[in-house]
Amino acid sequence: MALVRKDLLLELRSREVVPAMATFVLASFVLFRFALGGDRLGGGVRAATGLLWVAVVFTAMLGLSRAFASEREHRIWDGLLSTPVDRSALWLAKACSTFVFLVVMQAVALPLFWLFFLQEGRPPSIPVLVAALLLADAGIASLGAMLAGLASASHAREVLLPVLFLPFAVPLVLVGVQVTVATISPQTSAMDTLERLGFLGLYATIFALLGWALFEYVVED
Amino acid sequence: MSSSEAVRCSGLVRRFGERDALAGLDLAVADGEVVLLTGPNGAGKTTLLRVLATVLRPSAGSASLYGHELPGQAAPARRLVGYAGHEPLLYPLLTAAENLRLYSALHGSDGAEVESALEGVGMARRAGDRVEELSRGMRQRLSLARAMLHGPRLLLLDEPTSGLDDEGRGVLLTLLEQPGRTAVVATHEPDWFAGVAGRAVAIDRGRVAV
Amino acid sequence: MGISSQSARPDPGTLAAAVAAVLMGAALAMIFFYVPTDVDQGYSQRIFYFHVPIAMTTYVLFAWSAVNAVRYLLSRDRSLDMKSYVPMHLGVIFGSLTLVTGAVWAKASWGVWWYWGSTQLNTFLIIFLFYCAYFMLRFSVEDGEKRATYSAVYALLGVGLIPVSVLAVRVSQELIHPITFNRNGANMDGSMFLTFLVSLAAMLALAVSMYFVEMRGKRLDERVRRIRRLAEAAR
Repeated sequence: MALVRKDLLLELRSREVVPAMATFVLASFVLFRFALGGDRLGGGVRAATGLLWVAVVFTAMLGLSRAFASEREHRIWDGLLSTPVDRSALWLAKACSTFVFLVVMQAVALPLFWLFFLQEGRPPSIPVLVAALLLADAGIASLGAMLAGLASASHAREVLLPVLFLPFAVPLVLVGVQVTVATISPQTSAMDTLERLGFLGLYATIFALLGWALFEYVVED
Repeated sequence: MSSSEAVRCSGLVRRFGERDALAGLDLAVADGEVVLLTGPNGAGKTTLLRVLATVLRPSAGSASLYGHELPGQAAPARRLVGYAGHEPLLYPLLTAAENLRLYSALHGSDGAEVESALEGVGMARRAGDRVEELSRGMRQRLSLARAMLHGPRLLLLDEPTSGLDDEGRGVLLTLLEQPGRTAVVATHEPDWFAGVAGRAVAIDRGRVAV
Repeated sequence: MGISSQSARPDPGTLAAAVAAVLMGAALAMIFFYVPTDVDQGYSQRIFYFHVPIAMTTYVLFAWSAVNAVRYLLSRDRSLDMKSYVPMHLGVIFGSLTLVTGAVWAKASWGVWWYWGSTQLNTFLIIFLFYCAYFMLRFSVEDGEKRATYSAVYALLGVGLIPVSVLAVRVSQELIHPITFNRNGANMDGSMFLTFLVSLAAMLALAVSMYFVEMRGKRLDERVRRIRRLAEAAR
């Protein structure tokens, strides 16, 4: 089943999704930097971190809106569905490739973030941020693959996907920002951080399980 | 239900919203038969093929493939069926060989049969070309190769001759002429199939036309 | 599938409405006349007796919807889709009321129109967003089995959202603000607790009767549609 993952990795050839996401992130950062105050960083690192997470979520949605695009455009679903492959495997493959795209995007975004926003004041712990992002990515990828499938049923799918996703993004961003920012303050204990990272892991697990179980309903016609 | 019967539909209904694309269709195809589906556009031929390919679930009535009831036993039925739809169902940005290798993997195989499949449709030279670079006729041929890849017992072909050049038509004919070949073919050119097809069934408005 | 006439048994909808009316009357009476004024928060604390029952009803409606969503996916019985959708719809209505009463309570208690430190209010906000998204989904997909299936799937994703939201808010708190039900609940004396229960029962009864009303309306719609389809097919 993991062979299906190869299918999606091969689509890197199209070079549609990742550059668009990377550009979007860069543009967002520029926008945010100016919005927060070009000279001195208004709101401090906390505001910037919040915006980082928001940018991550929006960029993810941008990427996800194209998630099933090629299958849809060429009616390829009929071909895939007529094979004996497990429907859940289709979801898993899409989630994995989305995860990869997100990680690549963040690999580009983080250095930029550091450059734009972390040059003043105390920086948050980067390892924690990276861990948090990875866990969050797993959650976004799992849920996103599901929701992209749901949204593709409608004609307004590009608009619908963000709408469907945002309620789920709120807890993610909430904890993501918290775990990152809390590392600035020396009062935050390791337990606290682990607890929050654990939450992100739980989030990913819950929606991975739900995605695995429910995707066949999304795809069966 | 004997499993030498390739297809049996009884009162098959498939609804799309308010519209009944299939409105109580009965059909029986025996193993080794090649049956044509004829009828005007919108009659339900494509829908019928898609239901038989287990891509669509029946809304009502029954359909079974080699004794496997749909949709409950769709999973085992899929190994026995090869579907080539209206569209070539191929990723344009991948090469011919890559597409076939993907489908091979989806059928649980390691890709050994891809080469011979490509040769079988005369596409061996173009294996490394992206599908978007191939002509319509070649894409049709590739689609046939895809449908045949896992050695299915039943072929479901939707207008396989459209866009096919002479060499491709030759390939298709050879394919259908093989002894024991079972196929259900929707077509607007029933006469061309005269040599290989056993009978033609006319579909109209979701039912077998009398 | 003909047009059957209703048999002469007591209509559950009317019954529920009657019960709701009685309970509401009792609840209102108790809230305004029976319960003693809260020492800390004054007269406006009475909003609590509206706000929390309405909030709890919203959660119950969501659970009801989710249960029917599972049943629908397992059986593909279209009537279950309706039974899943209607509670969701009512949930939006009750949810809006919760937000409004919550804001009023917040203003009265703490002087601001919203209190971001509250676990419950934040969790509720997220759930409310989810309700709205559910509706967007429903409006975007054409009627039919697909819409029913997708709605059910999304509803079940929402089930995952609830514990996630609660945990998220709790885990990200820097300070714990104990304005929770426990404080008011465990410490409520007899009369307060009784009033609360009556109010809760009233809200639930109200939800149930609204459910029947809406279901009846939807069933009529469905019948009209079916008649129309039969008429067209016969032409």
